[in-house]
Amino acid sequence: MLDTKGICSGYHGVTVIKSLDLSVGHEVFAVLGANGAGKTTLLATLARLLPLTEGELWFAGEDISRVSPWVSAAKGIGYVPQEKGIFPGLTVLENLFVGAMIGTRSRDERLDEVIALFPDIGARRNQLAGTLSGGESRMVACGRALMQDPKLLLLDEPTAGLSPKYVDNFFDKIREIHQNRGVSIILAEQNATKALEVADRVMVLSLGEASEVMDAADVTTDKLKEGYRI
Amino acid sequence: MSIDWLSAYLIYALFTVAGTVGLAQLLHLQMGLAGIGNFGIVGFFGLGMYAWGVFQVRIPWPDALGDWGSFFLSLVMAVIVSGLAGLLIGWVIADLEGDGVLVGTLGFATIMYSLALSEKRWTGGAEGMAVPDPLRTFNWGVKPMSLFWLGVMILLVVGITYYVARVHRSPYGRLLIAVGQNEPLARSLGKPTFRTKLILFALGSAGMGLVGAVFGVMNHFIRPTEIGIEVTLAAMVGLVMGGSARVWGAIVGVLLTAGLFDIVVQIYLPLPDSWYQITLPVVREIVFGAMLILVLLWRPLGVLGDMRRDKLVERLGSG
Ligand SMILES: Nc1ncnc2c1ncn2[C@@H]1O[C@H](COP(=O)(O)OP(=O)(O)OP(=O)(O)O)[C@@H](O)[C@H]1O
Ligand SMILES: [Mg+2]
Repeated sequence: MLDTKGICSGYHGVTVIKSLDLSVGHEVFAVLGANGAGKTTLLATLARLLPLTEGELWFAGEDISRVSPWVSAAKGIGYVPQEKGIFPGLTVLENLFVGAMIGTRSRDERLDEVIALFPDIGARRNQLAGTLSGGESRMVACGRALMQDPKLLLLDEPTAGLSPKYVDNFFDKIREIHQNRGVSIILAEQNATKALEVADRVMVLSLGEASEVMDAADVTTDKLKEGYRI
Repeated sequence: MSIDWLSAYLIYALFTVAGTVGLAQLLHLQMGLAGIGNFGIVGFFGLGMYAWGVFQVRIPWPDALGDWGSFFLSLVMAVIVSGLAGLLIGWVIADLEGDGVLVGTLGFATIMYSLALSEKRWTGGAEGMAVPDPLRTFNWGVKPMSLFWLGVMILLVVGITYYVARVHRSPYGRLLIAVGQNEPLARSLGKPTFRTKLILFALGSAGMGLVGAVFGVMNHFIRPTEIGIEVTLAAMVGLVMGGSARVWGAIVGVLLTAGLFDIVVQIYLPLPDSWYQITLPVVREIVFGAMLILVLLWRPLGVLGDMRRDKLVERLGSG
């Protein structure tokens, strides 16, 4: 579904992601790594928000190395950034509606599904998104991306800084999104234990370089901590 | 029906206020929704006015077109030229931050002013140029002609307001707000935000150019003093005054500023005659500036407030 061939990217001449080869299929794929490892940089690059300095990016059989972010979004890549994932001056409902500008299914049908998935945001549909709590805005950001009917969802630390109960709940949702809606997911995470529970395969980034890709079932948090110091 | 009570000045003041509402409504989309502070409004307004005048007067239109044929063709050209200028300026500023946008748009208005002064062969320079009114063949007299163009301007503003109201409730309007609030995120919504901004600027500028052209027609005369910064200020102060949360914002705001000052104060207050030439225009700018500061201090969302915010408070209030 998504393949990268030796991609490099970064900021103003600083290369953060160094020659990364990746092949993600129909699965939940976790990218682990410590602070500053380059997870956000990688996901923003896959979402086409950062330019590739080298390499190729393929999605669903098409070369998207040079396309604009709106094109890759229209092709089916949904992106939920780590921060600022909502439009604060729009209501919750309007935030969800701006996600539904592409795709063919009816807006209300998609809305019903998203609200069934996240009942909490349904109850706050007319609230300004800028006044939501951290957890609620993550749900809105995720719901907005799902309104785009993506084939692949890029989730950048969706549960950082949230309470344990919320974290458990959100990881259940991730599994549900993958299984019930058939969406592939690339998940950037620091929480190795939770990521291993939900992911099919994992990869560890450190200083922009990737480890080999492992089956989540074959590794434990302790092994990852030992081997990669995350 | 007698129209004696309608002084020429009152008609002119109503016309100016209506035109300012039109400009403020177009700014509403650019600044109010998409967060692009267009400080070059008068540049597009002036370009439309001059483009109309130049096409009307300097082009040797074939006689077969008649007065109205050449008038409408010149008007269409004015709209096209302003729209293209909007496209160009939109392209220049689309990726800039606030201060870049300010310099870019303000610079455009300054260039238009300088061109109006310097390109004497086309514009008549500082003296300006007289432009014919296509209504003159009817021999109606001055006042009915002015009333006719006032009506045209009001219709134009109603049209613009209708368009703004439509945009407000449309997916396109939500996209504009999204772009204004969080552009990086808006880029990943699957719609070309760059193109959205260009279209916004091209359409807005074409509209401002049309308002300018109708101004020129009504005045029968086009000169650089008509395209000073106060045109931009009046639209901007009006919009900020009324707020951008509602379609009525620009209308209420302009009525409270330009309307109050140019109509109520100047016509109905017993002011000494000697004030009109120099004192009043200066006082007008001072009062506008002071109003702007007061509104920003006490009602930063405009006198009408923010409809969205009110809704939220209501919800919180009811438990
Ligand atoms: N806009 C930027 N300009 C320059 N350098 C940046 C920029 N954003 C990130 N970096 C640098 O790139 C590196 C990778 O950052 P990135 O945000 O991708 O890490 P991360 O793995 O997402 O970390 P975290 O877990 O803290 O979110 C860091 O060294 C960071 O300082
Ligand atoms: Mg990060």
